[in-house]
Amino acid sequence: MLRSVFGKSVHDLWRALVAWTLFTAVWPAFYISLYPSIGAVEEMQQLLDAMPPAIRSVFVSEGLDIASPEGYLNMELFAFVLPLLLMAWAIPVAAGATAGEEERGTLDLLLALPIRRSRVLAGKAAAMVWGTAVLCAGALAGLAIGAAAVGVGLDLGKVGAGVALAGLLALAFGGLALLIGALWGRRMVAIAVPFALAVAAFLVNTLGALVDWLDPWRPASPFYHYIAGDPLSRGLDPWSAVVLACGAVAAAVLAAVAFERRDLVA
Amino acid sequence: MSQPVIRTLDLTKWYGRNRGVEGLDLEVGPGEIVGYLGPNGAGKTTTIRLLLGLIRPTRGSAELFGLDVRRRGTEARRRVGYLPGGLRLYESLSGRELLDYFGSLRGQRDRALEARLADRLDLDLTREIRTLSHGTKQKVGLVAALGAAPDLLILDEPTTGLDPLVQLTLFELLAEVRAEGRSVFLSSHVLPEAERACDRVAFIREGRLVAVEGIAAFKARAVRQISFEFAEAVPADAFAGLPGVTAVRADGTSVTCSVAGPVDAVAKEAARHTVLSLASAEPSLEDLFLAQYREAADAA
Ligand SMILES: Nc1ncnc2c1ncn2[C@@H]1O[C@H](COP(=O)(O)OP(=O)(O)OP(=O)(O)O)[C@@H](O)[C@H]1O
Ligand SMILES: [Mg+2]
Repeated sequence: MLRSVFGKSVHDLWRALVAWTLFTAVWPAFYISLYPSIGAVEEMQQLLDAMPPAIRSVFVSEGLDIASPEGYLNMELFAFVLPLLLMAWAIPVAAGATAGEEERGTLDLLLALPIRRSRVLAGKAAAMVWGTAVLCAGALAGLAIGAAAVGVGLDLGKVGAGVALAGLLALAFGGLALLIGALWGRRMVAIAVPFALAVAAFLVNTLGALVDWLDPWRPASPFYHYIAGDPLSRGLDPWSAVVLACGAVAAAVLAAVAFERRDLVA
Repeated sequence: MSQPVIRTLDLTKWYGRNRGVEGLDLEVGPGEIVGYLGPNGAGKTTTIRLLLGLIRPTRGSAELFGLDVRRRGTEARRRVGYLPGGLRLYESLSGRELLDYFGSLRGQRDRALEARLADRLDLDLTREIRTLSHGTKQKVGLVAALGAAPDLLILDEPTTGLDPLVQLTLFELLAEVRAEGRSVFLSSHVLPEAERACDRVAFIREGRLVAVEGIAAFKARAVRQISFEFAEAVPADAFAGLPGVTAVRADGTSVTCSVAGPVDAVAKEAARHTVLSLASAEPSLEDLFLAQYREAADAA
């Protein structure tokens, strides 16, 4: 496994990834297995009906019906929980990629080898992508197994589209963590800033649906590209995927450039 | 002469308003061991990290094997082995795993050499690094640096944490490196260490190179203190005017002279009296610096 920077990162991360994948699979499986207990859904529907439309739209995007399993998942899982689960992996991993080694003091020895800094960063970014993909697969598997176990018919294509977009969303913020870590070499900063921005982006998208002056800003929020196109009812919008992927790639490329130029004063 | 292995030109690094190093012109040739000496904070680590491209010069340039370290550093580092000061390794790997990893990234590997080095240093490569003592970790770092058989070894305070016997082994290994025509650039703040191992010594102080020369020549010009205990009282005047004597203190039957360079004249003068005992203190690193400063001041 210790053949490349990517391999070393996988070596360091796989145990944590196994644990986190189980968690990311079990949580959605648990939610979908609750779905057939109609009472719960009805209660929720009543709860939603009782809400002012403004608040309601925070949880459910327009056009989704809570009575369908996809609508239920959209509210319970995709609106916030799943992106959070994926970002809770991608952001710390990306933040620790170079900044972690810098803080632990192992970076000098690594970068004194005949290897370009951008290749080091690329290997670590690839490990973040790999882990996020494994988590997405885990979440989808959890949903499929959970749905099958309780006999719920789930459109796995659409659910898969939602999971994939959530993964790309997490990678976009992960890319940002990579960039901040490469620029400043402080792991906590590279964790805190992307998380804060993710919360802000979430709010811009959800509140933007309600508040007129915020509405034009929604496309600036990655959450808009993730969820506003309703992947759970309409399937994958390639354009949304492209926007999120471009964001992640752009952040990673900037991170590589920043890292190449970085003056590594201890 | 063949191409220098290390060459710096006006190499300068400022950390904001803190000076790291200033205007370094340094050259290391093939097949020599050069010691880089200076007190704490002199700029040794700064110079070394500049050479490896870890930090960027504020001004000036550095070349390894004729390759500019900023533009062609990756290529140049193919031929370099490095031991950082304050070495930190991947704690969860074993020594062998660490060597596997670095060997793969280098794309070149000499397992036999690694095993031989580990053997010479009495190092068990199968143990997880986190369980090793400070000095043993240092040995792992040394095997990693020497194990790729690089044409240039850059070692930042390599003897840190090593016991005297292991230090001796290290100097033997470095002498073998030199014998193969490869070069070593090592920093230290301990003179005897440099004396034992190095062909030439570069002194740095407050970021500036104060001297580069053969260590024997340097010592020859250094000021040393010679104390005599005579059977009878001897006046200070007897020694004061002698060549090389910079100061004399006489106190009854004991006389202490500070002598720069050869002590011949002082020894012959002393021999005219009955010498009960004599003691000569080897010049310390600080004395060498002082001698250097005095020279610089005289020249000015
Ligand atoms: N990251 C930094 N920020 C600010 N100043 C620094 C930094 N690193 C080094 N310096 C300054 O640069 C000067 C040279 O430091 P350097 O670490 O190169 O010394 P050194 O010769 O290696 O010392 P030592 O023998 O203690 O290892 C010192 O005055 C130090 O304060
Ligand atoms: Mg140092």
